[in-house]
Amino acid sequence: MMRFWRQREFSTAAILLAEIIFFAWYLWPDGDRSHPFLNRNNFLLILKYSSIYGIATIGAAVVIISGGVDLAPGAVIGLTTVVMGYLFVEAGWPLWAAGSAALLVGVATGLLSSWLIIRVKLPPFIATLGVMGILRGAGFIITQARFYDLSAKLPRNWHVAGVSIDWLGPAVMVAAAIVFQRLMTGYQWGRNVQAVGGNEMAALFSGVPVGLIKSSAYVLSGVLAAASGVVLAVVQGQGKADLATGYELDIIASAVVGGASLVGGRGSVAGAVLGALIFGVLRNALPQISGATFYDRLIVGVVVIGIVVMDQVLTRRGSTA
Amino acid sequence: MKRLALLIVTVAVAGWACAGGTPEGPRKLKFALIPKALDIPVFNYANQGAQKLAAELGDVEVIYRGPDHADELKAQEVLESFISQKVDGIAISVLNAEFLTPTIDKAVAAGIPVVTWDSDAPASKRFAFYGVDDFKSGQEMGRQAAELLGGKGTVAFLTSLGAYNLGRRLDGVKDVLAKHPGIKVVETYDCQEDSVKASQLIASGTNRYPDLGAWISVGGWPVFTQSALAPVPATTKVISFDTNPPAPDLIRAGKVQVLIGQKYFGWGSETVKLLRDYIKGAKPASTIIDSGVDVVTAKNVDEYTALWKKMEGK
Repeated sequence: MMRFWRQREFSTAAILLAEIIFFAWYLWPDGDRSHPFLNRNNFLLILKYSSIYGIATIGAAVVIISGGVDLAPGAVIGLTTVVMGYLFVEAGWPLWAAGSAALLVGVATGLLSSWLIIRVKLPPFIATLGVMGILRGAGFIITQARFYDLSAKLPRNWHVAGVSIDWLGPAVMVAAAIVFQRLMTGYQWGRNVQAVGGNEMAALFSGVPVGLIKSSAYVLSGVLAAASGVVLAVVQGQGKADLATGYELDIIASAVVGGASLVGGRGSVAGAVLGALIFGVLRNALPQISGATFYDRLIVGVVVIGIVVMDQVLTRRGSTA
Repeated sequence: MKRLALLIVTVAVAGWACAGGTPEGPRKLKFALIPKALDIPVFNYANQGAQKLAAELGDVEVIYRGPDHADELKAQEVLESFISQKVDGIAISVLNAEFLTPTIDKAVAAGIPVVTWDSDAPASKRFAFYGVDDFKSGQEMGRQAAELLGGKGTVAFLTSLGAYNLGRRLDGVKDVLAKHPGIKVVETYDCQEDSVKASQLIASGTNRYPDLGAWISVGGWPVFTQSALAPVPATTKVISFDTNPPAPDLIRAGKVQVLIGQKYFGWGSETVKLLRDYIKGAKPASTIIDSGVDVVTAKNVDEYTALWKKMEGK
């Protein structure tokens, strides 16, 4: 039993399931009204909005496992929507080209962060805090505090091959989760990321290209956050400098709730995505409880602490057993 | 040390050169225009209105600066910096009246006239306020909703907690709806000033209340994109604050029935006029200048858009 619980993804999935059961019970409708939470439409909603966090949290988890931290994802998401909006609305680029070019925001951010951390030797917290400011500033300079309305140029009720565009985010999230879970557990690169996060000096002496591995983590985090931004620009229909303000903390919290240790060396990509879903369910279900809207922030805070404390208790018990 | 001395000398010489380089014409009046936050799109129109008027007048220069986000401490910092720059006048949208009143009074004590716009600081020594009465504009939204619903049905509110003006608007809406016993408020949603969150709440709220009579949004979050209201069925009416593009398109598409607009350009142009007149000795007849609101519906949307384009100078 204990070994099962030490498979961190399973315990995170169990928490998610318990959460869904709880809200299904709590929000059970009177009489013959349809269930407000437990229905297909609502699950798509949860997936759609969780994916904005979920895609980015994969990159954030890899950075955290490598022993760093990335505070830039929220700002990357915001600037990506702006760049994409500019190219699509103002410059008249086709959507796919605007989206692809906007991903370069993530590449550039990752390169800048890793240069500051590896070459200039700034602590990751400070380096990415600075980068975050630069990106938000760039977004405001481009938009002059206005926004690009992509929605006017996008097809109404857009379906691709019979599937609603709302599935874009969830599809990207699941695909990225599968790919990176595999890369992290089955390939040398993933083992190197964990080695660098676990003990950087030891990794260096055993021949791991530490700088390269760290760079790859930050570039990955940038690109995945930019992918979140592309998805957001499409589903929200806006390119706006202040979109996703403060999301970096939710993204980091998702990774931590999903088992990533902030001291590095430990964590899971799949767990991080499950963590994002745990918050996604909360964001969806809490406003449905009459009057609970105003308790949102407090409950989310308590849940973060609760899950991490529970994890610590379980791992401690696991290691002494 | 030597380098520092050199730097100081360079700066001094440059400063002297600049000062000497300015032609001795009549000095322009320098006004500061301070929005509540730079990231709220409607405030940019205040700047446009002010700059357009300044260019027409020729003797006024307007500096537009404010906090990035709605942050009262940063608003105070911006205000303080304009006091120390000794600008000729300040037009400010007040983020938190109680918090910023002492700093506004400090500006007035330093000989800088202050006018407030959009959001007032009634207890301060500002000489005038230009803007809407939020309570009244909320009442207008309530009346429009009651009329659209024919006096019966369910409504959901969308707001952002903590903003004083949004709270007043909501009070106005509730004040009118209370007179209609057939109208039931099912929920008040808090989008925390996050337009993505607003979209999500509208989608999950629609899912929860498929037969909802009307959405009443006291801020413009749902009308700044065509995506946010996409899940709302045609049977649900939408009444929202703010009329800047692309909001009018939503009326044309039948997604929104009523928009309530403020005098966005006037926030800048009218306050610049007030400051300029005040310095020349002409005080406004009343301290509170109610700008009124524009009620935009399918009937007058084209007229409104034409007027908007003219204001933008396009």
